[in-house]
Amino acid sequence: MPRHIVRLVLIMVGFAVLAYGAKQFFTVDSFYQYGHYRGSSVADIASDKPKYKGTAYCASCHAPQLAEWSNGIHNRPDIGKVVRCEVCHSAGGERDVRGTFEHVSTGPDHPKNLKMVVPKDTRQLCTLCHERMTGRPLQQRQIVVAEHAGTQQCSVCHNPHSPRLNLVSAASTAQAGDAAAGKAKAAACAGCHGAEGVSVNAPGPTLAGQHAAYLHDALKAYIEGTRSDPMMNAGAQGLSDDDAANIAAYYAGVTCVSSLDAAKQATLQDKTTAPKCAACHGADGNSTNPSWPKLIGLSKAYLVNSLKAYKGGARKNGMMAGVVKDMSDADMDNVAAYYANATCK
Amino acid sequence: MQQNEQLENQPDEQLEKQQKERRDFLGCLGGAIACGAATVVASAASSAAVAATAGGAVPPIPNFDWSKHQWAFGVDAERCIGCLRCVEACKRENNVAPDAHHFRTWVERYVTLEGEEKARIDSQADPANIAASGTDGQYRFANRYKDAKVEKAFFVPKLCNHCTHPACVQVCPTGATYKTEDGAVLIDHTYCIGCQYCVQACPYGARFFNEEKGVTDKCTWCYHRITKGLQPACVEVCPVSARIFGDRNDKQSLISQFIQNHRVQVLRPETGNAPNVFYVGIDKDVS
Repeated sequence: MPRHIVRLVLIMVGFAVLAYGAKQFFTVDSFYQYGHYRGSSVADIASDKPKYKGTAYCASCHAPQLAEWSNGIHNRPDIGKVVRCEVCHSAGGERDVRGTFEHVSTGPDHPKNLKMVVPKDTRQLCTLCHERMTGRPLQQRQIVVAEHAGTQQCSVCHNPHSPRLNLVSAASTAQAGDAAAGKAKAAACAGCHGAEGVSVNAPGPTLAGQHAAYLHDALKAYIEGTRSDPMMNAGAQGLSDDDAANIAAYYAGVTCVSSLDAAKQATLQDKTTAPKCAACHGADGNSTNPSWPKLIGLSKAYLVNSLKAYKGGARKNGMMAGVVKDMSDADMDNVAAYYANATCK
Repeated sequence: MQQNEQLENQPDEQLEKQQKERRDFLGCLGGAIACGAATVVASAASSAAVAATAGGAVPPIPNFDWSKHQWAFGVDAERCIGCLRCVEACKRENNVAPDAHHFRTWVERYVTLEGEEKARIDSQADPANIAASGTDGQYRFANRYKDAKVEKAFFVPKLCNHCTHPACVQVCPTGATYKTEDGAVLIDHTYCIGCQYCVQACPYGARFFNEEKGVTDKCTWCYHRITKGLQPACVEVCPVSARIFGDRNDKQSLISQFIQNHRVQVLRPETGNAPNVFYVGIDKDVS
């Protein structure tokens, strides 16, 4: 064989050997272990640390919040709707990459020096799911934000952990009182609350036509001392729960129709503050929910005092505390002036 | 005349000599090829032997045996409310760039207006929707069709289909992307050279290029979570159970029940990729 051919063959063989050797040298051991890829990369990828930790992780410190959530509408696995902690509060495990805290197996690994994400703007947060939008399935609860809440934050009325409002109070589910028996007991009330519960220039608020459930709750609060007023605490003393139910039933049965009609409302409506109240108490003071009081026949002074009591903490109600939080004295005056026009006609 | 014969015989001898040399050369070349082929066969056999011995082995992942699972994903578009919590959770869980151009999972909105034949499609990355959220890193759908006359509208979550016959794996020149025994299609970022053939091969647009690292990226079904017994991040945060994930080997798992109890379909079955993300509640516009 000619020499140049031999040389060519030798070079080719040499190149093949070199190439094969290089491939063996540069290919990592695990490359063909499971297939045409680096076998060790599977375990590498699987070794990443999860950031979303699940509700059990949050529960180790935030048990009260978890309990609130567990019983609420945001935890309904039976209908497939479960809004877990990290949907709104972001990843629990993300904090250990931002903070100085190091992961320890004995305790939860989110650092004490970093605060949990608590969304301030609930109008932005809640509407991600609950704004009425084309394409959302009908079974999803949706609102037209401006009509539903005006400019209010959702958290004023709703507890985000358990947002469904408790529309039926405990008292209203109790047995309805006996109005006739209540009328007899109510004789003592007329001095302050007016004949038949319509208070005109009397110190007490009008009770006529008020929701029985609300009156019952209020009386119970005076009897138990959780609501304090010198006159009422004394007056309610000695009343049994049945008496309270009866009196409530009596006053609820007296007819009282608001004198605020649509035309009068339009001339009086305070653009800035009254819409806040109207969502629950009605634009004419006539609330449709038995656990929210009607605001009919109440004097301006009584209304202002009540609002101030909510703001100062003397009267306790989660929803009202949220509403009055940002109200100035002038706002309170305006609102009270508006609702003071709603009298029994 | 004799001279003439001589002259005629001389080329014959030369021809014979040349033919002999050619035969020798071809013989030698044949031998070399046979030799080379033998080497290739031998090496192939040896690597096959390695693969065969490794057949029983599983990757060293604590408390996890990939031969016992066959993952699959379900999307119930009838439940999706387009809140985009999945998109944000995915980015956070997997360190995806918080901008409007890189998504491992995303949500599309299909809106057919009255009198129109084709659906209008937008996703959270649409400029109008980015404007509604006010930032690139957080997402919400703008309420842009609230005054329009809409015939039908729905949301569709999308992600990597983790196909049984993945085109992306077939085209990868370096073995950087592959299908695991338990059904996930993964990317080995240390072997990816950033050629993006796979980005083009994927019929679903599920892959994107990470310019920062120079590698391709995509959904892994949160392989680091599912191998620890957790759900993928998007499934974990979905408030309406529109995303379902589980093991098809377990007949009681949510995904097995989902496939059993619904008329499921896959996207673009005609491409032959055989996806493993099963959809309910989508129509012909979705592909």
